[in-house]
Order: sequence, then structure tokens, then C-alpha cells
Amino acid sequence: MLSPYTVLDLTDEKGELASMVLGDLGADVIKVEPPSGSPSRAMGPFLDDAPEMERSLQYFAFNRNKRGISLDLEAEAGRKTLFSLVGKADFIVESARPGEMAGRGLGFEAMRQANSRIVYVAITPFGQDGPHADLPASDLTLAAMGGPMSLQGHPDRPPVRLSLPQAWLHASVEAAVGALTAHALMLRTGQAQFVDVSAQTAMTWTMLQGMVAHAVQGRDFNRGGSIVQLGTINVQLVHECADGHVVVFPIGGALAKMVEWWVRDGIVPEDWMTAEDWPMYHVKLLQQQPVAHTIEEVLDAVGAYVRDKTKNQLLEQGIADGVSIAPVNNMEDLTRFRHLQERGFWLTAPLPNGQVAQVPGIFANLSETPMKVRRWAPRLGEHTGEVLGDLLGMSTSQIAAASGRALG
Amino acid sequence: MPDTLPFEGIKVADFSWVAVGPTTTKYLADHGATVVRVEANSPLDILRVAGPFKDGVPGPDRTQFFADYNTSKYGITLDLKNPAGIEVAHRLIAWADVFTESFTPGTMDDLGIGYGTACSLNPSVIMLSTCLMGQAGPAASFAGFGFHAGAIAGYYEITGWPDLPPDGPWTAYTDTLSPRFLAATIMAALDHRRRTGEGQYIDAAQLEMGLQFLAPQLIDYGLSGRPVTRDGNRSDVMAPHGAFPCQGEDQWCAIVVENDHQWAGLRRALGEPDWAKDERFDNSAGRLAHQDEIESMLSEWTHALPPKAVMEALLSEGVPAGVVQRSSDLQHDPQLAHRGFFRNLDHQEMGTVPYPGHQFRISGYDSGPRSPAPLLGQHTEYVLKELLGMTDEEMVEAVITGAIA
Repeated sequence: MLSPYTVLDLTDEKGELASMVLGDLGADVIKVEPPSGSPSRAMGPFLDDAPEMERSLQYFAFNRNKRGISLDLEAEAGRKTLFSLVGKADFIVESARPGEMAGRGLGFEAMRQANSRIVYVAITPFGQDGPHADLPASDLTLAAMGGPMSLQGHPDRPPVRLSLPQAWLHASVEAAVGALTAHALMLRTGQAQFVDVSAQTAMTWTMLQGMVAHAVQGRDFNRGGSIVQLGTINVQLVHECADGHVVVFPIGGALAKMVEWWVRDGIVPEDWMTAEDWPMYHVKLLQQQPVAHTIEEVLDAVGAYVRDKTKNQLLEQGIADGVSIAPVNNMEDLTRFRHLQERGFWLTAPLPNGQVAQVPGIFANLSETPMKVRRWAPRLGEHTGEVLGDLLGMSTSQIAAASGRALG
Repeated sequence: MPDTLPFEGIKVADFSWVAVGPTTTKYLADHGATVVRVEANSPLDILRVAGPFKDGVPGPDRTQFFADYNTSKYGITLDLKNPAGIEVAHRLIAWADVFTESFTPGTMDDLGIGYGTACSLNPSVIMLSTCLMGQAGPAASFAGFGFHAGAIAGYYEITGWPDLPPDGPWTAYTDTLSPRFLAATIMAALDHRRRTGEGQYIDAAQLEMGLQFLAPQLIDYGLSGRPVTRDGNRSDVMAPHGAFPCQGEDQWCAIVVENDHQWAGLRRALGEPDWAKDERFDNSAGRLAHQDEIESMLSEWTHALPPKAVMEALLSEGVPAGVVQRSSDLQHDPQLAHRGFFRNLDHQEMGTVPYPGHQFRISGYDSGPRSPAPLLGQHTEYVLKELLGMTDEEMVEAVITGAIA
């Protein structure tokens, strides 16, 4: 869908997913790396646990659908080449500290001189300016400052983040939205656009109904383990089953069906069937109307029912009866999850060491312009010659000098 | 605010509900599109019956859960179980550039408003169907919330403590990331349509969007067999890396030392205490090996100070640190205030309430949100008459037949 457009990706691990999303959507993404490689190439996990530039799975995962070039932007020739590419590009994405690109003469003002219709996207922890703009930040501190950590974790322990970094990924996909919004504005105004993405606010949005809770209801939500807080009602979502845990949200028609299961198995007395208008039970709870059986009794029945069954049994039985019971999948469960296999979600990718890997596929299916992986992550500088030849019409002899290598 | 908005003139018929679909169309609405959010009087969108409610008083027009995702939209009610309601739906679909829905697969076809019908009414329509598991596959009929998809995608497994059952993310986690992918996809589809006249059907599984954020570790698992599980706040490459207790009730500050340089900064911030001079802590391998000890000593220092003082002392030495902020703290966060992140909007039922704004700013353009969320059915008459061009007689007919009930 975005095939007419060229994206220059000057990011590191903080923004590589942004340009990858644009690449998945069809854009020609050119990953511009310094001769030392993107810093994300130094981030694990590593293939064969070898911490080498071409073996970073972090880099491999977030740089598909990109062509890779290496430019020494400290050298005049490399900078000149970059500005020539900017003239041919539609988007620039970067994730340097605020002011850093401008300090190197590579900021928005310099880029718009080279291309008056460029959309320039900058991803930073807190935004380009303001009292916190220059503060150091990390995934964990962004989860704290953004707010979601205050909601997560067991009440008797410290608040927690998700155990894998998420902040830059949220900010990156948000940056892709910002890029396309600004592009739509550029089409109408003819003016270059600057997009300032804040990872902190991207984390704030992951709080969903928690974002403005205090201002609305007069109190914050607080962490409570695996409960969901609906109004004044706390619903324990995670229940132990025979081979792990499942998530059950006992509301609506699903609850009515579960009551049938419980009566059939003798977990609750038969009069439960008619004791309550079960599909409307949660609405009555939320509206603080009297109910025949408390939410605690309902949750006890859920727990008793799932205790001796496996995750898969519960999933399959639930699907057959229209009751959603979600397995708490671990990585092994996920790679074997039949639904994903049958949808053809996983793709097989060749790795730099000759092995092949099962990798997550594309995020959506399109009817007319199907998204696909046109290429896997590039080796450092893999397409320098091809890109400079294609976009700038350079000859082989010009290319070595232009990438800055000769001068760098 | 300039006269020009990015998506001005784009028309969206939003039949989706709960979180993912409405949040996706919110981007288009706040950035200028005309978005008509179609709701049912029964059953209500579950977000209308879930809090936070204004002043803690329940009511379908009093919840910010619904309001946050539905800014800058028009709201109408339609009875899609009534053929007369479907007739109105057809007119809306014919009017729209973008048509969205988030029901269980097959529902729209059964109602007579699936993609085939949409194309016959509007050949270049862009239609988005999003649900937990996608339109096809053995578990396609699995309906539920982002809690379910979050568990299936592996997010419960990786949130909490290794010695306790999974806590999981507090929110319906796939609802937090899916709208980002979907908004980008719809915007790309609109650009493609502008250039080629070609519409599109988009089938997006929230599970599959969710798995994008775990990609490196999923790939690694397939190769090494080494799973990732929940580990509190710890990192496998950095220490200390955690939330530390501070003075006050349930107050915490997150602290991260990424490298030896920052460790030196932490020592300075603490005033070079003897315990921290231990040479076992001088490199990251040593800090990882002895992180229990470091955490315990560091906690003693943090415990005596308010969270902000801890944060400021560390930040001034270049160490990443951040107070664990609650929604009440966010209202006073100076950086969010600087960005104008929260926008006070005057809602007819709730009065003036802060709405969270956008996560990106575009220079010289104020993205809104531009107006508060609609009351249930607030704009039914306006939409039918002004947007769809219905006559008074047709309006009366829609009321009598129960189309808009």
C-alpha cells in the first residue's frame, strides 16, 4: 500500500519497529547504519549466544522489509550522500536524544532544506522539549513514569513491569501512526512535518481505563495481582488448572453456560440454574443491585471447575460451548498453538549462520495488497551499492567514496 | 489550529465496540475524519457499564472508559437485529470511506452487512474486521477481551513473580497495542485508495498483533529452547533493575543501572557508601550475580527518602530513575503538562473531565481530541438527516420501525 514511498531509518532499538511497520505496509525502507552498525546489533538474544553484529535476534526481529546501507555520517561524503537520499525520501525516522540530530546538522531544519515535503519522525523518552526531555530513561523507568507499573503486580510485592521491554515498541508503532498522520497533513498543506513521539505517553496509554481514574472517580486504581477492577467489583482472572493457569472472565452468556457446567458436575446446587439471570449478572453487579450469589461464590466455582482440567481441554471445551477460557501460554505453548499454525502465522526465516528459524509473521491480512516479508533483516551495508545505485544513480566507483568509507 | 486537518473529509462508519476498534477510529476522528460510532441500546457497549465513573456514580454516559476512546465522534444507536436498522446501516456503509467492526467472525455476514454487501454498496470501501483470533482458524470463534488474548499471546506468563502465579498486565494488554497497528494500516489503506481508487478488506487478529512485541524472544525460543518467564522487575543483562520502596505509603521509585558508568553515578548519588565500594559490584556480571545484596542495601537508602528525592538524586548523576506514578501523579507530571497531554473537555453529563491526549505531537498542528465522547444516541438525528440526507418522513419511519431503538 505504501510502495511509492521511501523511508530513511536512522533509528536504533528505540525506533526500528516504527520503520518496520511502514515497511510491512509496503514502503521501501532504507536502514541507514553507521559503519559500527546499529546499536541494536549489540543487543541479545544472540544466535548461538555469540554476541556478534550479525547474530543479534533483536536486530533480526525488527528490521525485516528493509534494505541496509552503511554511511559514515561523521564524514562529509557520508553526510552528503544522506542529504541526497533525503531528497528522494518521504519519511525520516530517528530515535536520538532530543537535539542530538540537530547538533550533528542532521535535524529537522536541515532535512527540510533538503526536502520541503519530508515527514520527520523523532522518538524520544519524554518528547523533544520540556522539563524532563533530557533525562536518562530505560524501559523500566518509562513503565514507572508513564503509569502502568502502578497498576501491575502482587499487592504484597513491588509494582512490576512486563518482564520483556515494551516501551520502545509501543512508541515505535505509535510513531508509524504519527508518520502517516503527518503525511496526510503534508499532502494537504504541502509543508514538511515534524512528529515528536513521547514513549512516556505511549506507556500512559497502556493504562487504558486507569489513565485518568483519579480525576474522574476520585481515587486511583491500585495493583491487585491478577484481578480486573470493574467499578467496585474485583474479579480474579487467573485460576490454577491441571497443567498451569487459565484466564476466565465470568460474564454474559459465557457465565450462563458455565453455570450449566457447574451444575452438571455437582460443583454448585441445581437451583443455581434459575437463581439468577446469569447473562445480566455482571450488569447487576456493576449497578450495585442485589444478586443471588456473590462474585466470590462465582469465582470459587470457576476455580473448582478448572482445577483438574488442562489448559487445552478448557480451551477446546470452551470453544465448543461458546465460553472463552484462555490458556496462560508460555513460549512452548505458543509455538505449538494449533490456531496460529493453521492460520499460517509463523514464517520460516533463513538465519546468518545457515539455520532456519520460526518467526512471527505479519500483523494483519489484506485482501488487495497482501503484506508479506519481502526481505529479512539486512547484513550491515548489504544494500549500500544497490540503494545508492537505484536512488542516486551512482556508479560502483562513486559508491565506495559516497558511503564515507574512503574518507571515514 | 489550522484550517486543515489531516483526515478532514474522510468518512468512517464505526460499528466496532469495546476498546480496539473504537481506539483505532479515535485516531481518525481526532485528526479530522467524520466518524459515526454506531451503538446498540441493548446490549450496551460493555465500556458504558464499566468504570471509572464520574464521581463513582454508574451510568452509561458517566464512564471515562468509554469516553477516552470515543472523542471527536458522532454517536448513533441502531438496532441491527431489526431489518429496518440494517437498512440504515446500508446507507451508512454506502456513505463511508472506512467501515470498521469487531464482532465475532461471521456476525456481520449473518446480519447482512459483511464485506460482500459492503462492496456492492460501496465498491472502494476499506473495511476492517478485528477480533481476538482473526477471521479464520480453529479458534476463530473464541470471543473475549484483551485479557484473554493477552494470556494466549504470552503476556500473563511474563508478568509477575517467578514464585507466584502470573499476575498479568493490569489492563487488557492486546487492546493497548492493537489500535496502533490498525490505525497505521487504515491510514496506509486510505493513501493507497487515494492513489488507486482501490479499497481493501483488513482482517487483523489481536493475538497476532500482540505477538509482534515478543518477536526476538519467540525466535530465540525456537532456536535455543530457552523460554522467557516472569521475573519481577529484573533484567538478565542489567542490575540493579527494580522498583524500590520509598518514604510514604506504597511509594516506589524504579531504578536501572545499565552500565558501569551509571553504577559510578549511583554510588555518587548515594554519597559513596562503603557497601557500594565492594569491587564485586564494579562490573555488570558481578552486579547481576549479587543483585539480592545490592537491592537490599539500595532499599535501605530509598526507604528513608520520598520517591521524588530518590529520582532526582539519581537522575542528576545520569542514572535512569522514575517514580512509579499513579493516575493522580500523572495529573501533576510537569512533562505531561508541558506537552499539554491531558485536555479538559466539557462533557454534557460528566462536566469538565481531563482526557488523555495523543502520544505524538505534530509541529504547528493541534491534534485534539476535539470534542468529548458522545452520549448514547446523542447524534442520531444529525447523522441521519445531515450526513445521510434522510428526509423527515424517512426519519419518522426509522423511529416507528425501531431502526434507531
